[in-house]
Amino acid sequence: MVNSSYTVPQNTHESVQLVLSDTSSGTQSIAGEYILERDSSLDIVIVVLPGASVQLPLRIILKGEGANVNVSGIYLCPGSEKVKLSLDVVHQVPHCSSSQLFKGIVSAESIVDFYGKIVVEQDAQKTEAYQENHNLLLSDQAKVNTKPQLEIYADDVKCSHGATVGRLDEDAQFYMRSRGITLQQAKALQMLSFVSPVLSRLVKDKESIVLSVEKAIQTISSSLQ
Amino acid sequence: MSQDIILKINGLRAGIEGKEILKGVDLTIRKGEIHAIMGPNGAGKSTLSSVLSGKPQYTVTSGSIEFMGKDLLAMSPEERSWAGIFMSFQYPVEIPGVSITNFMKTAINSRREAMGLEPMKAAEFLKLMKEKMSFVQMKPEFSKREVNVGFSGGEKKRNEIFQMAMLDPTLAILDETDSGLDVDALRIVASGVNALHTPDKAAIVITHYQRLLEYIVPDVVHVLKDGKIVKTAGRELVAQIEENGYDNY
Repeated sequence: MVNSSYTVPQNTHESVQLVLSDTSSGTQSIAGEYILERDSSLDIVIVVLPGASVQLPLRIILKGEGANVNVSGIYLCPGSEKVKLSLDVVHQVPHCSSSQLFKGIVSAESIVDFYGKIVVEQDAQKTEAYQENHNLLLSDQAKVNTKPQLEIYADDVKCSHGATVGRLDEDAQFYMRSRGITLQQAKALQMLSFVSPVLSRLVKDKESIVLSVEKAIQTISSSLQ
Repeated sequence: MSQDIILKINGLRAGIEGKEILKGVDLTIRKGEIHAIMGPNGAGKSTLSSVLSGKPQYTVTSGSIEFMGKDLLAMSPEERSWAGIFMSFQYPVEIPGVSITNFMKTAINSRREAMGLEPMKAAEFLKLMKEKMSFVQMKPEFSKREVNVGFSGGEKKRNEIFQMAMLDPTLAILDETDSGLDVDALRIVASGVNALHTPDKAAIVITHYQRLLEYIVPDVVHVLKDGKIVKTAGRELVAQIEENGYDNY
C-alpha cells in the first residue's frame, strides 16, 4: 500500500508516470492525492501491463484558478488480472480544465472496474472537464464495469463523459487480410492503434514503454482464437 | 493452354446466412484478359467478389475455384493476397489509428515473411511508396493519414488503386470501383488500372454501369443474373446492355 498527497505549486508543471507490471505477489494498491494550485498543470500517465493486479484510487483537486490536469492510462489484462481504477476529479474554483482518457484491453478471465467521477463545485464556473473510458473486451469470461459520473453544481461549464465496451472490428480485419496482413497481425495493429492516443502522451522512457506494450499486444494477439 | 489460365471457376454455388446467391457460376480467365461482369442489383456480383477474396461470412456449398492451378477455396484471405489476388473494395473500410504507411509496410512485410524474405529496407519501402502514390496522384501527406478515415469517395478509390500498385497482383478484382466517383477520379483510377495491366496478368471489373468500361476496355463481358452467368460475349455487349438493359437476359 502506497499512500501520498502531493501539491503542484503555483505556475509550475508536473508530469507523473506510473508503469505497473508483474504483481504476482498480490494486488498492489496505490492511493494518491494531487492538489493543483493557481495556474499549475499536471499530466499523469498510467500504464498497467499484463500480470499487474492493481487498485488505484486517485483524487485530484483543482484548487487554484487556471489549473489544468490531464490523466490518461491504458490497462492490458490478458489473463486473470484484477484492475480497479477510481478517479475523483474535483473542480473547486473557476477557469480550470481536466481531461481523462483511459483505454483498456481486457481478455481471458480478467476483471476491470473503472470509476471516474468529475465534481464541479458551485464556485467552479467556466470549468472544462472531460472523461473517456474505452474498452476492448476480447473474451466471454472477462468483465468490464465502467461507471462514469458527473456531479455538477455550477451552471456555466463544459463537461462530457463517454464510456464504451466493444470488440475488434471484423470488417477491418478482413480488409487488412485481403492486403496480406495475417489475422494475428491485423488484431495486433487494431489493438495498438486503440491504445496509441495514450502512448503518445508518454514523456519519460517512451521508447522502452512502447516496446513493452507492443510486445504485450503481440502476445495477446497470438493468444486469441 | 492450361498454363495460360489464371482463374477457373467451376459450378460455384455460394451464399450467406443460409441463402444461396450464386447458383452455379462457371468462368475461365486467361493471362492478359480483362473480364467485365455486369448485372442488375442483387444478381450476385458482390457475392462473387467476396467469395473470390475469401470473406469469412460467405459459404461455398459446391463447386471449385482454381487460381494459378491452386485450390483457392482452401486458402485464407491473406494467403490469397500473397498468391497474387487483389480486390478493390466497393466500400473500403476505415481503420482508425493506422497510418497508410504502417498499413502498407505491414502488408508488404507479411507477404515477404510468408515467402521467407527479410523485411523490406526502410529506404526501399519509402521509395516504392512515393513512386506508387504519385502514380495515382496522391500527395505525400497522404501516407500519414489514417487508412480511409475521413477520405472522400474519390480518395478511397484512389487509395485502393495505390494499394493495388504496391502489391502488384496477378489478378485484380475491381468491385464497383466506379460507384461514388466523379469523372476526374474515374480517369485517375482507370488509367492506374490500365497501366498496371500486363500480358501476364488479368482483371475482373464488376460493375452495374457501363461508365467505367469506357475507360477500362474489357476483352470479355459476362452478364450475371439471378446467380448465374446468362450471357458471355465480346466488348460489344456493353453497348447492347446500355441500350436495352438487363431485362432481355
